[in-house]
This record gives sequence, structure tokens and C-alpha cells, in this order.
Amino acid sequence: MDKVVRCKGICRVYADDAYPVQALDNVDFEVATGEFVSLAGPSGSGKSTLLNIIGGLDRPTSGSVYLGDVCLNQLDESELSDLRLYQMGFIFQDYNLIPVLNALENVEFTMQLQGVHPGERTERAMATLASLNLDGLAHRRPAELSGGQQQRVAIARAIVTKPKVLLADEPSANLDSKSTESLLALLRQLNQEQGVTIITATHDPLVMRYAGRRVLLVDGHIDIDDSDSIDNAH
Amino acid sequence: MPLKLLLQLSWRNLWRQRRRNGMMILAIIVAVGSLIFTNALIRGYQYDMLEDSVLNLSGHLKLLAPGYNEDPSIMSHLVIPQAFRLAIPDEEIYHWTSRIVVPAVVISERETRGIQLVGIDPKDELKMSFLAEVKILGRMLADERDQGVVVGKQLVEQLDTRLGRRIVLMTQGADGLNREAGFRIVGLFDAPGTSLEKRYIFTGRGTLQSLLDTDAVTELSVRLKAGVALGKVKQSLRLLFADLDILDWKELQPMAGAMFEFSDAIVLIWFVIMASALAFGLVNTLITGVMERVRELGMFRALGMRRGAVLLQVLAESLLIVVMGLLCGLVFGYLLVYVMQEGIDLSQFAQGLEAAGMRSIIVPRLMTQDLILVSVLTIILGFLASLFPAVKAVRINPLDALQK
Repeated sequence: MDKVVRCKGICRVYADDAYPVQALDNVDFEVATGEFVSLAGPSGSGKSTLLNIIGGLDRPTSGSVYLGDVCLNQLDESELSDLRLYQMGFIFQDYNLIPVLNALENVEFTMQLQGVHPGERTERAMATLASLNLDGLAHRRPAELSGGQQQRVAIARAIVTKPKVLLADEPSANLDSKSTESLLALLRQLNQEQGVTIITATHDPLVMRYAGRRVLLVDGHIDIDDSDSIDNAH
Repeated sequence: MPLKLLLQLSWRNLWRQRRRNGMMILAIIVAVGSLIFTNALIRGYQYDMLEDSVLNLSGHLKLLAPGYNEDPSIMSHLVIPQAFRLAIPDEEIYHWTSRIVVPAVVISERETRGIQLVGIDPKDELKMSFLAEVKILGRMLADERDQGVVVGKQLVEQLDTRLGRRIVLMTQGADGLNREAGFRIVGLFDAPGTSLEKRYIFTGRGTLQSLLDTDAVTELSVRLKAGVALGKVKQSLRLLFADLDILDWKELQPMAGAMFEFSDAIVLIWFVIMASALAFGLVNTLITGVMERVRELGMFRALGMRRGAVLLQVLAESLLIVVMGLLCGLVFGYLLVYVMQEGIDLSQFAQGLEAAGMRSIIVPRLMTQDLILVSVLTIILGFLASLFPAVKAVRINPLDALQK
């Protein structure tokens, strides 16, 4: 199976002269194409740090990160921006939709940054919204949507560009249990039907249950890595 | 980053903080409008001064015999051939004339004063000087052979004489000897200021030439049409009359020239003062806007927006505020000038104003160059003021921002 993400000997130390904090300690971690991986662990275990390093939002103190064959360590700020734009999708805990744009425009946003032709852009955005049952809400602004609806718009924005990896940081943190179930069903459907590789960082046992592979981080290193990972990959 | 997205986000963000941005736009409108209006008043004063200087016998340019300006007398003179024509294109020149201007002493029955005795051709003078515009009690000189004199009202009072009486004028002739003759006062002129009335006595050019025993004149005075470049005409006259002194009105009236230049500086100084106050407000508004949207700007970066695009985004929002304020401010300024087009009457301060070379009614004068200057400088200011918040926005770390 192709490895879409490879982390080798990742260390991340948050520099503080008096009390340096070791967020990740020599982590080796790989994700195969089509996997649905859940990074779990208590607060401060390093799961979000690892997710941010994979997403190119943070840089490791030592070690190497690869997305496909591209070594993220060797990319400058602009190249990392392009990598996030063209190859990754992000789902944030607080949805982070742009309040002045409606749902359709939010989904079109990353495609506009990519320079996709307006006609194609709208067509793809509407199709993605329809696949998430949001086509009736396309012209509503985030403030006019519920939390679950906003999170689904955020997912639409993340997947519309067909990224190599979808990174979700605590995607259920602000959702009730019903919306969480609905979100996870959607993520699993994307994973199983469209083969989207998903990596989530979460506290939520429900999210872990939906993931095909569970990785538990404790004190900055991997404590348990679900051995079924390969079997769950598509 | 696509321009459409840039403008769409900028426009909508403008309405997101409508009260704050509205106040900022209002401040720009008031600042630009009042700048336009005060500039128009300064220009009104400046060009009134120019016009007065030109009409006060300077013209735009004078051709003088070498040395005349330092030591004015008939000894430094020009001889103008019959049928002489000034070789300046008709589309540039409004009119020209020749005069004799010599220092003289006027003696009445009771008083004596030093004055400038001016020999003129009255037909020309009606197109060249303030004599065309002033009230004349009695009559104007009939032609250049007229043997009467036209005297200022104030001077007549100082000489303790009156219209119709005779006065004696004494001056130096072309041979260096003193000449004196009696003249009848045929007209009294009432000029806008008292200094002109005290300074000049006018008689016919031919009459004065006869008194001085000469065919020469002391100056050629040239008045140009509106908008003609003074420097260009001066240059072409220099080529034609290399042996003469050619002085423009600023050189002939250095005080007025200095005030004219100073008015240009005042326009800029006033702009800098207003703009500085405005810049603080603009920076404050934009910084607040950026600080409120740290998370959103960080999210833009996380999604793959490049730093340059974030910079453009903040600059575009700022320039949108500035341009909206500027456009409305230009209209506001125009309306103020329109409402005040009859001028501001300051006649109760007339004496003080005269000392400062000002007329008692200041009429605002809207100039395209000032509108362009204010527009360009305001946009540059807006750009510079928004650089700091924009750079601050660029420096936002997406990870830190998303964790806020």
C-alpha cells in the first residue's frame, strides 16, 4: 500500500529557556493512502502537534515529514502554503468558515485561491454541497447555519479540491452527539466511497470508534498503534 | 489571489464593521472636503495676489534697460522703433505696452511728496493695469499727448489739493539735468489699496517724453493670456532681447512672489497636518480590524493563502475605505466651494488684509492640480498607513492564530 504520510524520528520541542516542553519525542508514523486514522490521547500528549506538523502548519525540531515523495522540511513558507492549498484539506474544531461569505462562496474559496475557472468552480462546489445535503443552504452565511451545518460546509470546503489528505483537529468538539454521529458517518462515507485519506486528532471515543486505525499518543510518543491499520485501508 | 475574491472580501469586510469604518470614512470625507475648501481659499488669495501684482503695473513680464531695476531713471532707457511688434504668438500674449516710469517730486501749494511719475498710453493701459478697473473722479487721460495728470485720491489728500488744481512735477531729464513743469489734475483714481494711490501719478507718455527731452521709454510691460507658461515666454524673450533685463512679476515684486511661493508651501503643510491626524485614525482602525480577525487571517494562511495575498487583502480593505472617503470628500469639498463661490467678505478687516496683500473678499478658486494633489497624496497616505497593519497581518502565525 502507498504511504501518503511518513514521519521519521519526529521531535518537537517548544522552546522555553527555563522549561522546554517536549511535545513529540522521536515519533515514527506512517499513513497509507485511503486510511482513516484517529490520533488519540490526553491533553498535551502531542496529537495536535503531530497533526499540525503533517499539515505543514508547524515544523519539527528534528526528524523528517513526507507527503508522498515531498519532504516538508525542505519547503519554504510559500511552498508549504501551496502544498496546503493543493494537497491538503483542513477541518477545524471551530469550523472557521469565512463569516462574510455564504456557504457556496466558502466552498469555492480554496478553488478561487487555486485559480479554478469560475464555471467549473461553482459546479464543483454545488455538487459537493449537494453530496452533503447542503445544496438548499448554499446561499446562507455561516451565522445562519447550525453548528452541524457549518461543520459540513467546512468539510465540503476541505474535500472539494480533492486533497491527498484530510486533516481534522477535534472535528466533533463543538457538536452535539447527533451532529457528531452524522459528521462521522459522512467522514466514513468519504473514506470508504471516495478513498479520501483522513487523519483526525480527537478526545472523542465516538470518533475513535469510526476510525479504521487508532493511534494513542502519550507524553509525545506513540503508545499504541492499532495493528489493523493496513486491513482497514482501501 | 484573484482580484474578484480580493474585492469581494474587502467590500464585505467593510460592511462587517460598518459603524467603525463609517466613522473612518466620515473622518476622511471631512478632512478631504475641508482640505479642498481651504486649498481653494488659499489659491483664491494666491491668484488674487498674482492678478493684483500683474495689474499694479508689473505685467507678467517686463523688458528693462540693464541697470534700470537697481537704479530706476530715464538714464537707463529703451528706444523702441516705430511699428515695433513684440514677437510673441498671439495665443500667448494678452497685451503689451511701453511706459516711462521715473522717480519724481510732486509739489502742491502746501506739501511735497516723492512719487513715481508714469507716462502711459491710456488706450493700452486699459488692457494692462488697474486703471481699467478703478473709479476715476474727473476724467481719464485722453491719449498719450494728454498734458493733464491723474492722481490717487490719497495723494491728493496728502498734498492738500484737489481736482482741477495745478501741481508741479520735478524729475531728472535725459540729459541728467532737472526738469520741472506744472500739470493740471484732471482725474482722481480710487484704487483698491491706498499704497497705489499714494505712489503713482499718470500723465501722457508723449507729454512726459517731451518733458524729459527723449524719445525713449523705460520699460516694455507684457501681460500674458491665462494659463500660458511664464517661463517659456520669458525664455523666448531672452533669445530675442539678449541685451535687455527680462524680469517676471515675482522678480519685480519679490515680496508678492515670496508670498505666492509660500502659499504653495502652505497647501502642502496644511495637507501634512490634516493627513497626519487622519493617518493615526486610519492605522488605529485597521490595526483593530486586523487584531479582531487574527483567527480568520490565520485560517486563510492555513488553507493555503500566501503571505502576499494576506498583505494585499488588508491593503485592499484599507484602500477601499480611503478611496470611498476620498471620492465623497472631493464631492463635499466641491460643494463647499460651490456654496461659497461668491467669496468670503472680510471687509471689516480690510486695512489689515491690505497690509498682507489680500483683497477684502476672498473668492475660493478650485484648481484641478489641487484635486489631483489631494487625491494622489491621500491614496499614498492610505497605502502607507495600511502597511503597518498589513505587515502585522502577514506576520500572523496560522497555528498560533487558530489556537486563539
